[in-house]
Amino acid sequence: MESKPSIHSSSLTVDQQVFPGDVVLDLSKMTNQTIKLGGGLRQDGDFISVMKAGVLRFSKPNKYWVESSHKRYVPSAGDNILGIVVDARSDNFIVDIKGPTLAFLPVLAFEGGTRRNIPKFEMGTLLYVRVVKADTGMNPELSCMDGSGKAADYGPLKDGFMFETSTGLSRTLLSSPTCPVLETLGKKLAFEIAVGLNGRVWLNAATPSIIVLVANTIKQTESMSPTQQKIRVESLLQKML
Amino acid sequence: MEQRLANSWRMTVNEKKFIQTALLSDLRTDGRGPFDYRNLTIQFGSEDGSSEVLLGQTRVMGFVTSQLVQPYRDRPNEGSLSIFCEFSPMADPSFEVGRPGEFAVELGRIVDRGLRESRAVDTESLCVVAGKWVWSVRVDLHILDNGGNLVDAANIAALAALLTFRRPECTLGGDDGQEVIMHPPEVREPLPLIVHHLPVAVTFAFIGDESTVVIDPSHFEEAVMGGKLTATLNTNGDVCAIQKAGGVGVMQSVVMQCLRIASVKAADITGKIKKAVESYNTRRALKKIKRHPDSVDVSNISKDMEKSKLKIECTSTSQNDDMEIERQSSKKDESSLRDSKPKAVIGGPSSWDPYSKGVDADELKASLASRGVATPNEKMDVAPSPDVVPPENRQSNVKDESLTDADPSPLPRAGEETNKAKTLLDAVKPKHKRKKKKNLSNSDGS
Repeated sequence: MESKPSIHSSSLTVDQQVFPGDVVLDLSKMTNQTIKLGGGLRQDGDFISVMKAGVLRFSKPNKYWVESSHKRYVPSAGDNILGIVVDARSDNFIVDIKGPTLAFLPVLAFEGGTRRNIPKFEMGTLLYVRVVKADTGMNPELSCMDGSGKAADYGPLKDGFMFETSTGLSRTLLSSPTCPVLETLGKKLAFEIAVGLNGRVWLNAATPSIIVLVANTIKQTESMSPTQQKIRVESLLQKML
Repeated sequence: MEQRLANSWRMTVNEKKFIQTALLSDLRTDGRGPFDYRNLTIQFGSEDGSSEVLLGQTRVMGFVTSQLVQPYRDRPNEGSLSIFCEFSPMADPSFEVGRPGEFAVELGRIVDRGLRESRAVDTESLCVVAGKWVWSVRVDLHILDNGGNLVDAANIAALAALLTFRRPECTLGGDDGQEVIMHPPEVREPLPLIVHHLPVAVTFAFIGDESTVVIDPSHFEEAVMGGKLTATLNTNGDVCAIQKAGGVGVMQSVVMQCLRIASVKAADITGKIKKAVESYNTRRALKKIKRHPDSVDVSNISKDMEKSKLKIECTSTSQNDDMEIERQSSKKDESSLRDSKPKAVIGGPSSWDPYSKGVDADELKASLASRGVATPNEKMDVAPSPDVVPPENRQSNVKDESLTDADPSPLPRAGEETNKAKTLLDAVKPKHKRKKKKNLSNSDGS
């Protein structure tokens, strides 16, 4: 414990790969500061060390956490996700969000929602929703409105095709600048895409062949480097056209 | 209730609709055509008779074991082949632990029907003594990951495991020629099963209102399909089994078309299985060649080692016999020269227990040593026994120590060997062995 490996300054490790046992912060050097730790980090005396492999993230003013790729989704407030309606109760819709527990979507959490106009969803409807509450020991709560009470883009997704990926891939698809796969595909093909942070991706296009192509390309290029992705996508497109 | 909802896998309305609409233009969600099989990979474990089959996302493990049992009364000269399958909850959240579900039973039955009722495995060659001992071959199929089309993958896993399985060779011996002697794999090469032909299962799914036919349905397609048809065929085009599940009606012409496609696919898959098995066999043979120089080296280390090896071979069958011989020889000595411990030597082989009476053997040795008339013959007999002697008792005599130290290397090995071989091997003739031992010790002494 005494002989720690060389401590990088925090600005170096942020947005870099970190591995279990890495020390990312030295608290003795940052007195008069409060920091918040997220998943994958823990305090060892005066040091903050990493507990899982991933990318260290920092958000102003003081939040640190480690991001990695999973098959399961851990809900966190503010995430935009894709859920599947499982059951309808009098107060809530029960929605599967790939998390440890099912989530509740209150029947009134729609734009202009009142007791009179409760929407009707078939079992298995795909919804684009926002996580409102994700407290421990409770089922997460969802909403189909943005902060100002508008429907925005939330709500049921019709037609198209949904497939599941890892949470890491869905995050890269959402990253800006646009990830090379979507950028290259988007130049040649027209399609609609909705990506949930819980590792679900919904696609829609004019013909099924485009949907199948885009879906499989996204799945296959997950473990490739950006240049490899570009080459792969271009060769695929040439074959098709 | 909620937990059950959380554990079950669900499909969205969008996916169901899309799979059906895409099929109208001959497209499947994974980019295959309607009659394209997924990528098939066959792997083998380190042991004979274990296989792992990957069919796209699907992963099935097959494992074959055998046992000597009494045959069924109505078929006294035929061995048996039984198939068991296990659905791990790890493969799919909908599989429950414990009692096999409906689908697990169906899968087992289809594979069983294809393999057993087409007599793919020669059961008559599994007979050892008609009416008494036959080999019972058991195939265990473990579903490790469910990516759809478990039946085909399980069937291929069973075939691959059966083709690489080796059963120990056994012969008849004993006084009446009716005792079964099982030869360990080091002594005689284990025998493969006789497989006459390879019945390969090919599954078709019927999806949508028009009952579009697709081969090798994936997990998603299985959730949408109205029915499925599994045909088990071999390379000759013989239909070994056919199973149609689900409510949808299928035209006769469609079934015939399926069978034609299936026979082509079956030939294709048979080729893949044979190729994989062949490469496994060559690897296995290579491994044996590598092992050979090893054993030569060991035997060349010293004359002692060689001697001990020979000894192991004749004592390997059981400690029991060895001890018996020892007792007999020492008994003779004692009765003729001195009856110092008459109680220790009384007791036939039936009441003899190698563990509880280990001390007696030591006492015997001690008495022999004190007399100082230990012949080479006795030395040889005594040597392997100290692994039954408690260490504190060993200190009792210096001579005893020197005996054990003469060749320390074989002791642990002898112990291993004897502990391993216990059951049927006890039947080996003791008389013959004793003779061998005498010869050996005499040549050593001279």
